[in-house]
Amino acid sequence: MSETTQAVKKSLSRRYRKEKIFRATGMAAILVGLSFVVILFVNIISKGYPAFEQTYIKLPIHFDEQTIDPQGERDPEVLRRADYMGLVKESLREAFPDVKGRSDKRDLYNLVSKGAGYDLADRVLADPALIGQTQELWLLADDEIDTFVKGHVTHSETIPLAGNPVVTDNDGQLRITGDAVVMDSLQNSLRDLVPVEMADEEETVMLPDDGPSVLLELQGGLVRITAYDPEGVTGKVVSPLKPDATDAGWNLVLHETPEAERRVKDKTIFWVRTLESRGLVEKHFNTVFFTSGDSREPEQSGIAGALAGSMLTLIVTLLLSFPIGVGAAIYLEEFAPRNRWTDLIEVNINNLAAVPSIVFGLLGLAVFISFFGLPRSAPLVGGLVLTLMTLPTIIIASRAALKSVPPSIKEAALGVGASKMQAMFHHVLPLALPGMLTGTIIGMAQALGETAPLLMIGMVAFIVDIPQGFTDNATVLPVQIFLWADSPERAFVERTSAAIMVLLGFLIGMNALAVFLRKKFERKW
Amino acid sequence: MNQAVEFEEMEHEIVGTVGTPLVDNPKMSTRNVDVFYGDKQAIFDVNLDLSANEVIALIGPSGCGKSTYLRCLNRMNDTIDICRVTGQLLLDEEDIYDKSMDPVLLRARVGMVFQKPNPFPKSIYDNVAYGPKLHGLASNRAELDEIVVTSLQKAGLFNEVKDRLDALGTGLSGGQQQRLCIARTIAVSPEVILMDEPASALDPIATAVIEELIDELRENFTIAIVTHSMQQAARVSQRTAYFHLGKLVEVGETNQIFTNPSHQLTENYITGRFG
Repeated sequence: MSETTQAVKKSLSRRYRKEKIFRATGMAAILVGLSFVVILFVNIISKGYPAFEQTYIKLPIHFDEQTIDPQGERDPEVLRRADYMGLVKESLREAFPDVKGRSDKRDLYNLVSKGAGYDLADRVLADPALIGQTQELWLLADDEIDTFVKGHVTHSETIPLAGNPVVTDNDGQLRITGDAVVMDSLQNSLRDLVPVEMADEEETVMLPDDGPSVLLELQGGLVRITAYDPEGVTGKVVSPLKPDATDAGWNLVLHETPEAERRVKDKTIFWVRTLESRGLVEKHFNTVFFTSGDSREPEQSGIAGALAGSMLTLIVTLLLSFPIGVGAAIYLEEFAPRNRWTDLIEVNINNLAAVPSIVFGLLGLAVFISFFGLPRSAPLVGGLVLTLMTLPTIIIASRAALKSVPPSIKEAALGVGASKMQAMFHHVLPLALPGMLTGTIIGMAQALGETAPLLMIGMVAFIVDIPQGFTDNATVLPVQIFLWADSPERAFVERTSAAIMVLLGFLIGMNALAVFLRKKFERKW
Repeated sequence: MNQAVEFEEMEHEIVGTVGTPLVDNPKMSTRNVDVFYGDKQAIFDVNLDLSANEVIALIGPSGCGKSTYLRCLNRMNDTIDICRVTGQLLLDEEDIYDKSMDPVLLRARVGMVFQKPNPFPKSIYDNVAYGPKLHGLASNRAELDEIVVTSLQKAGLFNEVKDRLDALGTGLSGGQQQRLCIARTIAVSPEVILMDEPASALDPIATAVIEELIDELRENFTIAIVTHSMQQAARVSQRTAYFHLGKLVEVGETNQIFTNPSHQLTENYITGRFG
């Protein structure tokens, strides 16, 4: 064996080992990255997908002429201003005739979203012939109800009980006893549900007020159990019983979260369960989410306004940044003399790409709003600011695309007598265009996801109306997400995630389009 | 003797051009041409005439400036920012570096074929039709078709591609691509064709086809060809110019240059002692 062979052989295993380590490191890096992406997606999707469904309550609504249009003139102005919530309340009162007292009634009315009134108004305005009729309508439920129906308020368990219980009223304190069948099923179920050790069979177990709610649904009413012992249970009435009610079934219900810690009370849950048992509560596809603007009420809020704002802003950005960016790239790459000035410009374009985006927001505030007096919160200004932010990306990508066109093509064109301009526009530009488009789409995707600069120019305002033009007040998707993430209502959590899903969908779509364009128009020499 | 020393000594021998650089009634004539890339001088005081209907071969070792000189003849060097050309370059008595000379018009009259085949990524038809369309040489589609067909015929490509004129020019083989480029160049009916090592990227058979073609084209065009292959120069050209380190060393009848060179450097080169 020659000396070289020996030396090579000696180092071979070390070289291969290094290669293996390098490959393993790369794989590990990719795995870590991927797993974070998966976690992100699983988290967002699992949180967000319930938002695509919304709870509706079916109620018979009587479009009472006295309430809606006492004069009978069908004046749209009168029709619009009528008290439609009154109709809803009327219907709710009829559904639960035994609800008395102001605060109980208010709680009852809160089952249905305030938006239901607008919905009814729209229906009547669209078809005044409805007045005087009674219709069964699916009305939007309040966000708290929606959250409960989706199971986010508390973990609940229901156990059907056997036998016929005997209820004795003792000055508001109810005592529920019964024969062996009743007591057996009650005791066993209680033991299953309530995590309290019964030290002694004879002992009375107290259920504290600040603990989980243990309830009995019987005789059309609701009883909260406060204590139980081997002979029976003691409780207080939450919703009055109707001793003459015919349905014999009775249930033991547990809501794990203590009543004081949730916004949906036992009574409200009882009403919802009653409606559910009558088949009057259903989850429908959440069209509101896609058709309405922002709202203080989660159930009435949607992304349509933010989406329209994003689109208008992006249109402005695209219309400005693509021609300017491509033009600048062509000039710098093909026509500009190479001197200190162009060097300076080049360096500054690259620097611009590294400027934090919020600085562009400040610039936009100072220049476009303060100096030029353009309207605040408008997609026009947002688009201008995002143009500034996107330009460097587009210029750099476009220049790279121009550079990647082989100079021989340009020479060939010049060789047959094309002018510089003709060589550029007939041959170089068509070949560079896919690269330029890719850069532009990626720039647009960046702009679509941008929040910080838009905060500075007032696009963070609470805007209910869907913007119709470039100077209307508007917000954009990422800012909407930011606003919702800040809101305390539980229902906004899922809406935040759902909006993120929509935004991610758009971003992935745009990037896929960029990849598609690149693949489709890619040329090999 | 050490070759470097020999080389060094010969450096001083280039004082002027040996042979017959000038001719009567030249198609193009160049006098005292200096070319600079920035501060570096690439061509030193070249005087050379191209006579009509003649193929002149420019030979010399790599980096001797023959391509640079060729690219001066249709101002292709304009595309290089740092390149500066001085001296007098005439095409039919007109100064091609004069302000009144439009480089676009010049390149229509002095066409160029490049080292690497560079068809446009378009159809064969569009490749050839591009120049005539640009200059408005055809008033209707039929005329354009005529120009395309005759150009392809002259370039000896027509029979191979007549069924697929819509196919991509870049899809042809290397030799076919180069003939397509020649067809594209002659489609605008230039007076002079400059060829920068047109066969260097081709196999021997494709090269032979191109060489034959060059010989035929001589009837209608003045041709200047840069080549690394001395056999090729001997086969296609009537006159040969030998460049060395940016200087024109010797010009003469091709036969004479290859059989009986006057200058020692020329002899060294063609006998293969360096280059």
